[in-house]
Formats: sequence, structure tokens, C-alpha cells
Amino acid sequence: MRRLAGVSFEAAALGLHPGQKATDALALVPELVTAEAEPEADAAALTALADWCVRFSPAVAINAPDGLFLDVTGVDHLWDGEARMLADFRRRLAANGLPFRCAIADTPGAAWALAHFGEEDAIAPPGGQAPLLEPLPPAALRLETETWAQIERLGLRKVGQLMAIPRGPFARRFGRAALARLDQALGREREALTFRRPPTPWFARLAFAEPISAPEDMARVTADVTARLCARLEAQGQGARRFELAFHRVDGKALPLAIGLSLPGRDARRIAKLFAPRLETVDPGFGIEVVTLTGHDVEPISGRQARLDNAREATVAEGLAPLVDRLVNRLGEARVWRSVPVESHVPELAAGRARPLAPPPPARPWNREAPRPARLFRRPEPVEAVMALTPDDPPTQFRWRGQLHRVRRAEGPERIGEEWWKGAIEDVRVGHARDYYRVEDEAGARFWLFRAGLYGDPQTPPKWWMHGLFG
Amino acid sequence: MSDFRGQTPLKGSFASMRAKIASIEAGGRRDSESLPFGDPRIDERLPGGGLPLGRWHEIGGTGLEVETAAAPTAFTALLAAPLARRGEVVWVLRRDDLCANGLAGLGFPPQRLIQVCARDEAEALSVMEDALSTVGVAAVVGEVETADLTAGRRLQLACEKRRTTGFLIRRRPYGGPAKREATGSAAATRWRIASAPSEPPLGEFGLGAPRFEAVLERCRGGRTGAWLFEAQNAYSWEKTDVAHPLRLVAELGDRQLAPAQPLRRVA
Repeated sequence: MRRLAGVSFEAAALGLHPGQKATDALALVPELVTAEAEPEADAAALTALADWCVRFSPAVAINAPDGLFLDVTGVDHLWDGEARMLADFRRRLAANGLPFRCAIADTPGAAWALAHFGEEDAIAPPGGQAPLLEPLPPAALRLETETWAQIERLGLRKVGQLMAIPRGPFARRFGRAALARLDQALGREREALTFRRPPTPWFARLAFAEPISAPEDMARVTADVTARLCARLEAQGQGARRFELAFHRVDGKALPLAIGLSLPGRDARRIAKLFAPRLETVDPGFGIEVVTLTGHDVEPISGRQARLDNAREATVAEGLAPLVDRLVNRLGEARVWRSVPVESHVPELAAGRARPLAPPPPARPWNREAPRPARLFRRPEPVEAVMALTPDDPPTQFRWRGQLHRVRRAEGPERIGEEWWKGAIEDVRVGHARDYYRVEDEAGARFWLFRAGLYGDPQTPPKWWMHGLFG
Repeated sequence: MSDFRGQTPLKGSFASMRAKIASIEAGGRRDSESLPFGDPRIDERLPGGGLPLGRWHEIGGTGLEVETAAAPTAFTALLAAPLARRGEVVWVLRRDDLCANGLAGLGFPPQRLIQVCARDEAEALSVMEDALSTVGVAAVVGEVETADLTAGRRLQLACEKRRTTGFLIRRRPYGGPAKREATGSAAATRWRIASAPSEPPLGEFGLGAPRFEAVLERCRGGRTGAWLFEAQNAYSWEKTDVAHPLRLVAELGDRQLAPAQPLRRVA
């Protein structure tokens, strides 16, 4: 059955609407001119329009099938305010002969509702979308058809009536998705938009007369395409932090590989080398006909003189950065790090992880006074058969990993409490404290033990744990 | 090399012959450096009067320490602390339980430390090799169960490229069966480290400065021995400019003559 996908203003004035059967429409308006709907062409046109909208904001998201979201946060001052910006937007679009409606609001949900159901060119003041949304019909909340129909059936004709319903019953009756939509419109919940990224101008491409598939050929074309892009980067004094290589197969599939650099770079040989170990993961299938390389996070780097074969002149950029890049690309970013001090008394939180070549944070010294073990267990291990003279005394002997240790010397306790300001106040207990003891057994081994819980507190009975070894 | 073969060493010219052998071992370079401990009782046993740099050293533990490697870690950090002034130190781990705060307490600067967690033994060795042959890296510490002759030789070649010093902490992964110890080793020195009871100053409570029993089991171009060391300057802000963070407290008996468990009583 053929239906109308869209109608012009003139046709709408005659009572035709999208979704109507084509035969019904022709019966109503015999002189109706129809054309085949082309969803793909519409999508392409919308994409082109999104790219054009970049002149107004760098963040443009496509809202299929016929909408666009522009994040205009912080750009409206270029037009002396949102109203002028909207007027300019309208003038330019109208010059292109495009019918449209638009609105500005704090949230994508509110802007969508106002654009579809609100006044022409509505601009919601910051934080003031609720009064503007109240008179709109429930369909303005981008609800599922069934939810929307149910709300209509219950006689709720305005968003304002929905806003008055308590949250619990609302979620039970109409579902969590509907509540999320309402929250997104009012700014109580964040909404993720997929912004369209403009294609990077740092792009190199090699096409082959014959499809290639041999591993050595792939290595060679990787080197060639890298050299091509890096020559361009060098000519413009730029370097990129991330490179994405894509092998386009004969069957139309693209196999991407990506590497990252810790400092922006353009050394073709080095970059090709970082790709080399990954090439074997690429399945060439029936052959690869095109290879493309794009550079991202491009920034200017100072042109450095190629060094005069003097090892002492070597700097971080030549020695450490390539090493860190090799390791990060081979092992993953989480496996290469530099420890940085964190202001926390909790031992396992006192060291944070930073990227190895990130600029060092403002110098905060490591605490050298309080002895900390050389090896800190990620999970404290239980200690048994602990004997202590009095509750607050260090243990005189304990059993750990099946071995009995007699304590010769001990220091402590060092009481470390929980970070009560971070969690909910109801969960804070006096018993959530650890008493740390540094003990040395008869053989000289030094341990870091702690007792969690307090004597005489039935809720948190004391228990002993091994948290680290000093050596 | 030809002059070495052609010349018959004269009687009493052992010193010059030793120097020649050392230069051959160092790949023809004569600038082989060493890091003295600052105490003749140990320095005169080591080739070049100190811990040889541009080589790699093997450090193991005893008992439970074979798995936890706490004493070898602390000892290695103290050995590598003077090197950290010259460049970065890369520490290749298998378990990420190294505590930067603890190293800082011993006097090792964590801001010069890059930690790498390798997935298996072969990867740990290859990362060590890679780091050793990098400009700007002063020392590399790796935690490996065992390095056979081939792996050791590769590490040595990597060390020689940039005169970087390697430390290999022998550490068994938790729970796994013990691998057979490699028979030969290309290491410059091999140490066995155990914690020793500390001696706080008279009248003070608690623990004293950390002490270690260090047995030098193998030493290329030097002699073996056993010593008791104390970490100077640990867990204090007082910045006394010490020659070496390890202070030699006493020389322990010859390990060949000593019975199985004598060292505990000495300390």
C-alpha cells in the first residue's frame, strides 16, 4: 500500500497529511502531483545541511529523519545574543528555500518540543523551559506511540499535567523511558547527542590497480601512506597525536587500526613501526584495494633539526616518547603509568595514575614521614591467630599464609579512618577505621598489619588483615 | 683483540691483563662505570670498585619472598635511587602491587618512575630490553621468574647500547609451579636479599632503619661475599646528603663456609 511520506504546505492546507493512503489523497485532490520518497537522498541532504550548520556551531547532531540539534553554548555572543543568531540562521536557511522551524532551550528535549509544538522561534530563557513546556501536548516529549496514546486516553492533554504527577506513580504507569524523556526536557537528566564530526583534513589515500593481500605488501603500503601524510604534516609544521589506518577490502568492508602518540609526531618510520605489529590482525579477505590514513588531534610542533648523530643531544622527544608510545600501543594505556600523589590518607588511594609523559601536576610532595610498605596488596589478606596483650597493643604473634610469625618489634597504631565526606552520611560508622601496625618478626621481615573494627562494638567485630610488606 | 693474543702476559702483569679482559667484555669500550657503595669492605670485591653500571644484575629473595619479593624490591629501589638522578627508571611488573609511597619513603623518587605491567614473562623481558636500549632511561627494573642464558645475553646487549643498568628481580607468580632455575646466567652480579632485624638507637621504641642481609652469590670479575646493609635516610624528611642510600653495617661470614642458617644469629 502506498502512503504519503511528506506533504507540501499547499497540500497540507487541502487537508492532506503524512501517513495518509495515496489513493485516499488522490480521491480528495485528483490533481495531486506525487513523487517517490527517497529516504537515502533525504538523509544525505540532511547530512549536507548538518555540515553547513558548522558555521553556527562546531557541535551539530543529526536527529533523524528531519531534525538537527546545534549546541550553541558559548557561541551566541558572536551574533550579539541568541535572538540575532536565530534570525541570521532563519534568514540564511530561507534564502536556500528550506521550510523549517527552530527553537533555543537549555536542553535538547525542550528545544525539540518547542520547535515542533511551540511558538515560532521560541527562545527559552536559561532555566525557564518548564513554563513554556506546560501548555504543549504530551507528544512534545518525544514519547513512544503507545505511551503517548495511553496518556491521551487518560485525558492528559498538556505536559503541565504530566509534570504535576509524582515521579513514582508516573514511572509505574507510563514506564521509565517516559520519565526519562520528561527529565531530559526539564534538564534533570543528561541526554547524549551524537555530534557529527567534520572529516579531518589530514587524510592520505592510496588506491591499487590490483587488490593486495600479502602481509609484506600491507606493511609496504602502510609505510607509503604514512610517509605521504607525514610529508604534508611536516610541510605545514604540524604533528598528530592519533593516527587511524583503514584497509578497504574488495567486498566493501573497512578494517580500521588506530595508534596513539604521547607527544604529537610526524616521524613516518616511527608511526609505521607502531602499526606493524597490528597488521597481522587484519584479514585481507579477497584483497585490499584502498588504504587510507587520517591524522587526528593535530597541533603545531616546532620543527626540530634532525640530530647530528650525537647520543647526548637526545631528548625526551627522541628517547622516552617513542618508548612510551611503543609500550602503550602494545600493552594498552592502562598498563603504562606514572604514580602521582593524591591527597588521601587511605593507603590504597594515596597514589593515582597519570600518563607517563603528561605534564607533571603542581608539585605535591610524597609523604615520607609515615612509613608505607614497598609492596601494597591490592586486597588485604586475612591474618589468623593474632595474639595481643591488650586491645590497643600491637600483636605479639600472628599467622599469615600458614606461617607463624613472632613479633620482635612493633610500631603503632596509626589510625586511618574512612573518608566519610565522600559517601552517604547514613553509612558512616565509628567502627569504620583501621589501626595500622608496623611489625618486625624474629627473622627481620617487616609487615604492615591492620585491625579493622573495634573491640566491644558488636556491629564491627575486630579482624586482622595484612596489607603490605616493607621488605 | 689481536694484540691480546699476540702478546704473552709478563709475570706479575695480572692487573693489565684484567683490564684487557674487562675491556673485551665491555665490547671494546673503556668507559665502564661503576657506582661505589662508599665502603672498601664491599667496593674492593666488586669489579671497578663498585656496582658495575651498563650491565644487569639479578636480585632474588628467600622463602616466601620468592613470591612477594618485598626485601628484593626495597633493596633494588635503594640500589637504583642514585641512578634515578640521571634519568628515568622503568619498572616492569607482573603484578601491580608496587607502592610508590613506600618507594618515596625509602628515598627513591617516584616522579622518575614509569611503571609498566606486562602480561607474561616473555613480554616482561622484551619490554625490559626495549626500555634498556632507550635514550633517557637510566635504569630498568624487571620482575621475572627466571632468565635463561639467551634472554640474559639479550638483556646484556640491550644494556650496552646506551650504558643503561638493568635490575632483574626474580619473582615467582602467585600460585604457579616453580620453574627450574636457569643454570647459567649472563648477569654481572647475582644477589640474594633477605630482611634483617633492625636495630633502633638505644632508648627508642619501634623499628629502626630497615636492614638487609645481602649475599653476593655471583660476581663477574669480582669476589662473592655477604654483608649487612642499612637503609640510610628512610622514612624521614631530613635530607642528609648521603653518598649511597645503603650503609654497610657489617661484613657477614663467608657464605661457602657458613652453615645453612647462620646469618640470622649474626644480625
